[in-house]
Amino acid sequence: MTAVATLPQGPAAARPFGHRAATAFLGVVVLAAILAPLVAPYEPDAVDFAATLAPVSGDHPLGADQSGRDLLSRILYGARTSLVGPLALLAIASALGVALGTLAAWRRGWVDAVVGRVTDVMYAFPGLLFVVLIVAVFGNGMTTAVIALGLAYAPTIAKYTRSLAITECAKPYIDAYRVQGMGGFAICARHLVPNMARPIVGYLVVLFGEGLMSLATLSFLGFGAQSPSSDWGLMVKEGQPAIVQGAFLPVLVPGAAIALVVVSFNVIGVRLADRMGVRGS
Amino acid sequence: MKKTLALAGLIGLTAACGGPAATSKAPAPAKLTLVTQTAKAAGPLESATWLLDEEPGTLDLDSDGGTDNRTIMANVCERLMQTQPDMTVKPWLAEKIDQSDPKTMVLDLRAGATFHDGSPITADDVVWSLKRHAGEGMDESDEFEDVESVTKTGERQVTIAFKKPNALFEQAIAGGAGIVLNREVVERLGKEYGTPESPDACSGPYRLKEWKSGTHITIERHDAYWNKNVKPLTRTVTFKWADDTALVNSLVTGAADGAYLSETGPAVALQANKAVTVAYGPTTRVFVLLPTDRGPLKDPRIRRALSLAVDRAGIARSGFAGVARPWKVPVGAGAWSYEKQAFQAAYDQLQGAPETPRIEEAKKLVQEAGTPQAPIIVASNGEQARTVIANAVVDAAKKIGLVAQIKTVPPSEYGGFYTDKAMRAQVDLVPDDWYITKSDPIGFYDNGLTGSSNNWVGYSSPDYDKLVASALAATDPVQRAKDVIELQRRFTADMVWISLVEVPNAVVLGGKVTGPPASQVQIGYPWAADLGVKG
Repeated sequence: MTAVATLPQGPAAARPFGHRAATAFLGVVVLAAILAPLVAPYEPDAVDFAATLAPVSGDHPLGADQSGRDLLSRILYGARTSLVGPLALLAIASALGVALGTLAAWRRGWVDAVVGRVTDVMYAFPGLLFVVLIVAVFGNGMTTAVIALGLAYAPTIAKYTRSLAITECAKPYIDAYRVQGMGGFAICARHLVPNMARPIVGYLVVLFGEGLMSLATLSFLGFGAQSPSSDWGLMVKEGQPAIVQGAFLPVLVPGAAIALVVVSFNVIGVRLADRMGVRGS
Repeated sequence: MKKTLALAGLIGLTAACGGPAATSKAPAPAKLTLVTQTAKAAGPLESATWLLDEEPGTLDLDSDGGTDNRTIMANVCERLMQTQPDMTVKPWLAEKIDQSDPKTMVLDLRAGATFHDGSPITADDVVWSLKRHAGEGMDESDEFEDVESVTKTGERQVTIAFKKPNALFEQAIAGGAGIVLNREVVERLGKEYGTPESPDACSGPYRLKEWKSGTHITIERHDAYWNKNVKPLTRTVTFKWADDTALVNSLVTGAADGAYLSETGPAVALQANKAVTVAYGPTTRVFVLLPTDRGPLKDPRIRRALSLAVDRAGIARSGFAGVARPWKVPVGAGAWSYEKQAFQAAYDQLQGAPETPRIEEAKKLVQEAGTPQAPIIVASNGEQARTVIANAVVDAAKKIGLVAQIKTVPPSEYGGFYTDKAMRAQVDLVPDDWYITKSDPIGFYDNGLTGSSNNWVGYSSPDYDKLVASALAATDPVQRAKDVIELQRRFTADMVWISLVEVPNAVVLGGKVTGPPASQVQIGYPWAADLGVKG
């Protein structure tokens, strides 16, 4: 949960091939998530003790976990929670963050100072610790984890939005609307925020990968998705004891899925940032 | 380009790891051979490194009798009775026990036994030690609930009077309740006793040499040990602590010489390696399902149906990497320290807990019970064994027309099911492992008593309660075994708890050493005294 997107320095990292491959891969993942009931060979929680820790085979193309559950089926179904979770948390974070950032930039003065200090305090507080505290109070589970992470990500987006909005507010068209007698809320809602949408969306794409990683971390620590969910972070956690038995697939398969999706979102986010001229901001 | 390569690398790695797992070498549960002791050592050993799960918080077993603490102190402190590798008990610091009156136990103490500081073990020390163990909040205080008084009745004699007959107390004083401490040392150290800076206050074949907090604990052979028949072969044993992965690596590379395993996963990884040997021994430890009375499990027919439908062989194979065996009763065979054949015969006759599912029979029971549709909530703490068991229960329920769901509770809160009624009210089944430190099944069956704190399903039978009292009063082993077998039949017929698998005790030894027991006695028997080099 860093404040600034970790963008590579050289233009080579976002060359079209990587961008296309990442887009195609994410397209496949989204399709898999939507069509999981149709394409998954088994139910995600179907237990088959005869297939415990089965290697890659025709029956189990990605192997099976300790309970003999098919890893491919679980990955396909798990794509749903692994994609919807970050989407929901970013929706919460961006609703809060964009509102606060815009308010601070528009009103300036003490409002800006208060919003600035609140976000600074949030920055100083370790994000994961904040989330763990919320989960400790309200109980674990995917919903709590998503809301908690949404709140934790809001200051990041608020700061980014504020910096964009301050630049935007200095532009003549804002003054023009004021002169015409348009109210502050209407200017912000109908003109200012829509004009910042592109760079914010580019930023959110990069944050999506980070959000997915954070949610997977919470599930791995036992605070997020709960058994028998096929959430990828939870799959890594449940597969971990198999490593000492020499079986790596229950960890490697969901781990690779998380890594590939996060990298893909980063590649696309960098590309968008390049095209929108907000790279490195 | 770098990220494209990373994508390709991850895909390649996943594909490369798609071969058969090492678990294909897991033993078949039915073929698991249990031994009480590993091969006898041929000669002395200067030093050995032994691994534990975690560093003890204290070495005062009255404050904390955790498994790691006991594994160390079993070599340092001695008891009035001693559990042997075959799980029988024999007199130790008490030379003779007389319980001709079931409400009175007379202990004649051994002459010549001394503490590590050279002072003799007196009847006063024994009386003081037993009263300390019985103190409020002490780890073994529950063993003294039936004790009326402990008094010195001779120069080397102590008499224990009971409120009601208690045939189990002989077993209790082979455990932590029977440890004899040097009163003078413990009183002098006060709150410091059991901390890294303090010496031990015991009489065993090893003495505490050093506890460097966060690093290691070392015990060394006590050359002036009072019992000249016991000749420890290893001079020093250094205890370190490691998680599963570090444990496997340390043993395989020779950085450690042995460990008693609490989890079965490392056993499979280690037994495939020729640098080490893994031995399995008798235990009382069984994984069970503890039902509650909140939903469908209140009906004994549903409990019986689930017991018939659950795949015990599958759980043994998948949840325990094959290092467990399907089990019909809630206590492991290690508790059969007397009348073994009678217990075995009675066990063989039990029908309600098959190795492989009997789905049709189970379905009939569910139909008789009206096929309840309220979901059965199965607790889990996310660890491998409990996760696999929870999955197996959900699968079994589905196959017999019931609905089951898993509720995951953090491992640190899992023990709360035993103390928090509100927590229990949220679930129908709690998978857990259970062991008794006494090698007598009657040490378990009081859990089925009306109103027992572990009888969550509300089982109540006056006849059962009478039988428990009768068994506890029976000092004759034949009569006690008869009572216990009847208790076992009643307990399993109504599935007060649903038994799943028995997990054997496991000891892993490096290539150069051998000798310690494989049975579950490492928490009460001085196992390090048997450790030495291979022939």
